[in-house]
Amino acid sequence: MTVLILTCEEDVTADMVVVHLNASGVPVVRLDPADLPGGVALSGEFAHGAFRGHLQSAGRLVSITGLRSIWVRRPGTPGARAPEASAWLAEESSQALWGMLRGSGARWMNHPDAARRARHKPWQLRLAQECGLPVPATLITTFPQAARDFAERYPDLVVKPVSGAHPQDPPRAVPTSRVAPDADFSAVAFGPTLLQQRVAKRADIRLTAVGEQMLAARKATAEDADPDEVDVRFASGDVPWRAVDVPPRVADAVRSYLRRAELAYGAFDFAEDTDGTWWFLECNQSGQFGFVEVETGQPIARTVAEWLARPRPEPRRHVNGSHTRVC
Amino acid sequence: MQPFALNYARPAVELEATTPYVYDCGQQLNVLMDGRVAAGDPALLRELGTTTSTAGSKTHFDD
Repeated sequence: MTVLILTCEEDVTADMVVVHLNASGVPVVRLDPADLPGGVALSGEFAHGAFRGHLQSAGRLVSITGLRSIWVRRPGTPGARAPEASAWLAEESSQALWGMLRGSGARWMNHPDAARRARHKPWQLRLAQECGLPVPATLITTFPQAARDFAERYPDLVVKPVSGAHPQDPPRAVPTSRVAPDADFSAVAFGPTLLQQRVAKRADIRLTAVGEQMLAARKATAEDADPDEVDVRFASGDVPWRAVDVPPRVADAVRSYLRRAELAYGAFDFAEDTDGTWWFLECNQSGQFGFVEVETGQPIARTVAEWLARPRPEPRRHVNGSHTRVC
Repeated sequence: MQPFALNYARPAVELEATTPYVYDCGQQLNVLMDGRVAAGDPALLRELGTTTSTAGSKTHFDD
């Protein structure tokens, strides 16, 4: 059975996993949904109570019901590279592809429905609380006065996008940023604003969870670090990521989080405070891991490959024959 | 008036347009000019930062 990887061509992080799958002799088909129709073709027939479907890409033909797992990495939007792309064609292509794959019976990393839900940061914060992970005091509001009141109670705040997305017109990045003590919160009325108590961190933690496996890395905060530089993605300096053990209580909470979120993969960001407590910041359901592996040597890509290579569960057997459902 | 969070926006840094590898659809991997698989060169990946978590990327919704 085949592993299907949905991602763009330039995704070298996916390459790291493909290399391991190839070494294990596991069949792989890699394609970008953006190439449907054109470089990617599909066909599915529903007849006589059964489904038969196929995908074709770069000369490879794979049965949709012959997929053991589907890895949703960095897929483009279906129809995006069609000669006459349109919103209508994108929707048609999306419905055809994702609709057939949903019926494949394959294991997902991650299922699109779970992935979509898991991207919501407010939902992440609540789930983390319920799973017992420490969450910094957070306010998401469009009330300027609520922001002012929150800033009085928690004078040291950061601001970050609610969605994690960044404006593209023009292209800008919105890093997690420290809020000035005398900030004017009037503009909170013009868009939902996420304010969070700043964690005086001594390290950033990236915990990559793959199924039941957890691989955590720690990047110590440089002694001479600018306290206004709170977003590790923009931090200067060359402090490396180092592998670190996961505290058992954190591991239990993360397992609970993944189970309730129905995620097979999650990249968790924590801030480690001076007491050693790991404060939950977010869980990115398709977060990058290559940069951690190349610095720490942790076998994340191999762990992903092993998860994808597992055989899929046996189909349920029904008492009156394999095609008879008991309701 | 712009939302409060955009007061902290900065220009997005896009990765270099050219990378020293190209996608080989036969192997389903990116390969270097000398034929080696790019993913087999961790030092190169580290140098290029193409596996890095980057805010503001157009192509990477998830960091």
